[in-house]
Amino acid sequence: MLAALRFTPGQLRGVLAVVGALILGAGITGMTAILAKSAVIEETTSQSGRLSVAALSLYQALSQADATAASSYLTAGTPSDEMNETYREAMRDATVALATAAGEVKTPADTALVAELNARMPVYTGLVETARTFNRLGEPVGATYQEQASTLMREEMLPKAHDLQENSLGQLNESRSDAAAFPWAAAALAAAALGTLVWAQMWLSRKTNRVFNLGLVGSTVLLVAFAGWLAMASLASASHTNRSHEDGSAPLELLAQAEITAQQARAEESLLLIARGEDAKAAERFEEHFKALADPGKLLDKLDEVFAGDPELSKNIDTAREAAETWRAGHDEVVKLAQGGQYTDAVALVVGESDTSLWASFTTLNDALTEATDISADRFAEATNDAQRSLSGAAAGLAALALGALISAAVGIQLRVAEYYA
Amino acid sequence: MIRHQLRLAAAAAACLVLAACSQPADMGPPEVDVPTPLPSGINFSPEIETEPVDESCSPLASYNPGAATAEQAKAQLDNQDQISIGVSQSTNLMGYIDPATNVPSGFDIDIATAVAHSILGPDATIRWVPMTSGEREGAVNDDRVDMVVRTMTMNCKRWANVEFSAEYFHAGQRLLVPKASGIESLADLADDHLVCTGDGSTSVRTIAEQSEAQAVTVPDFNDCLILLQQGTVDAITSDDTILAGMAVQDPTLHVVGEAFSQEPYGIAFQKGNTDLARYVNKALAEIIANGTWQTAYDKWLKGPLGVAGAPPSPQYRD
Repeated sequence: MLAALRFTPGQLRGVLAVVGALILGAGITGMTAILAKSAVIEETTSQSGRLSVAALSLYQALSQADATAASSYLTAGTPSDEMNETYREAMRDATVALATAAGEVKTPADTALVAELNARMPVYTGLVETARTFNRLGEPVGATYQEQASTLMREEMLPKAHDLQENSLGQLNESRSDAAAFPWAAAALAAAALGTLVWAQMWLSRKTNRVFNLGLVGSTVLLVAFAGWLAMASLASASHTNRSHEDGSAPLELLAQAEITAQQARAEESLLLIARGEDAKAAERFEEHFKALADPGKLLDKLDEVFAGDPELSKNIDTAREAAETWRAGHDEVVKLAQGGQYTDAVALVVGESDTSLWASFTTLNDALTEATDISADRFAEATNDAQRSLSGAAAGLAALALGALISAAVGIQLRVAEYYA
Repeated sequence: MIRHQLRLAAAAAACLVLAACSQPADMGPPEVDVPTPLPSGINFSPEIETEPVDESCSPLASYNPGAATAEQAKAQLDNQDQISIGVSQSTNLMGYIDPATNVPSGFDIDIATAVAHSILGPDATIRWVPMTSGEREGAVNDDRVDMVVRTMTMNCKRWANVEFSAEYFHAGQRLLVPKASGIESLADLADDHLVCTGDGSTSVRTIAEQSEAQAVTVPDFNDCLILLQQGTVDAITSDDTILAGMAVQDPTLHVVGEAFSQEPYGIAFQKGNTDLARYVNKALAEIIANGTWQTAYDKWLKGPLGVAGAPPSPQYRD
């Protein structure tokens, strides 16, 4: 076998074997790398993508349900249709999100979180409905039921929903860095194959005194195309994946956090009045949430920064900020009224239907954030679609190019070998 | 291929034998505790105060009204045009926000209103200042309010910090239990019974000293009613007025047993403001004499407490 390498035909066959193996290796690793990337992107937008979306909308819906349940308690058993509708929609969104999450979880920890949340849902709604019934009957114990519902939400359900969201975001980020990684193995093999091809042509032209071997030239061209496509597809998909994170999911998380914080502040504001002065901590918790939302450098400022170059989105953040300022001023008035015993006026200011009520400024704030969320979500979907489009056909194309390069090299060398036996 | 199938079949058979591997450990249903909603700050083993009770004074003895006038009383108000009165917003029947109207209502509110009218006339501007029981002494001494009418028991410890009017209602600590529980009095409580009461109240000590039952405290005594309805506790103990306010909200509960403590309610004023106390004592005597007291009692407490009720007779120290 080694003896055969002493003669040119044997040497030619040896070169072909090496080049062939390298091209084949580059082709297979390149193709599988692209297929894996594609699968990961698919997963980002579906599997853990859907878990993180479900976890986030669960967290949001629960906060919204609690804020609305607490507000509507203050209307003395006669909430507006809008409030009723908002509460029912929030509960629907929460249960749908929980069902979706249940189908998407992959770790035992997440399964446990979903189960624990599921077990608390009927308890929570039970407490809210009991509160409503007593409220309608004019029995003050209803207020205590509403407080207990909010305590369950605040101390058990929201933290669990938050944990589920954090876990899913962790999994999403892991997949994302996988998807953005460059296929180094395929690139190295392609480079080695190219180097060997170039060396083989130089060696062949010395041996045969012919400048070009068409087969090998063709193979080189195809392999260069292969390497170029591989690099471009990888880089493009990485940049799209990163863009989907920066333009889409990162602001989405921030927006959701702002919305949730506003909802929680709103719930505490209502509890302040529902507890009829017996829950001093409600005021503290309101301050905490409101500061996290509107203090300098906090959520609204961060959103301003993220959306600085985007008039469409920053317009919404400006609206939200204005509403937050009106709300803040009104809240201080509510506290003053409540401490001064003007309970009816305080309640009217918090849940009244007039344009100057805090319900109105809270709704304006919430709507502005929701609109910004919708826009941001569209951008996220766009970016992940682009990432997938940049990969579409790449796997098949790379396979075809590698195969072409292999055949072309084989034909080129085989023709030379044949000359020795002619 | 056939060998592969055989191996699968063997594995399946092994699974059936072991049973456990059909459900790998981390894929089994998660264990979830039964959710029991509890109020924040609930304490299942509260510390019981052991410091001896201050009995160095006669708590019922207030200041003799003598010739006190409404003008003198008015001069003592923080603001001459209105009277600020500290009340509860959450004690059903005594001082609470009526859920249907959002207006302060109850026996304490009616008594306070009558006193205010006596000082400032029937068009008096009354500023109701809601407060928790822990805020009462500070509120009168820091000029937040002119007086506090909020189920406040007169005792020597409090006399050291505030002035009291004469007694305007005589309450006593009792038990609220489900009608089906069979508990008829303090003696029926065993050591496995949980009895709920508000923390910081004297009821904790009384129940711990006079019964076998385990006390459970919550920051707001209203939480006790929920805990009793949900079956977390077996009974509630507090002043009969407060218990009556809970009993009227739930026909399956009733107040049982004799009162096992004395809770004389007085109106509190800033320490040293005896002029206001004297005139209010005069006003209270009038309110009792002209039937206003009985009207308020009949409206709020007669039915729920189940006794005709009579106004306490005032005691003065001078």
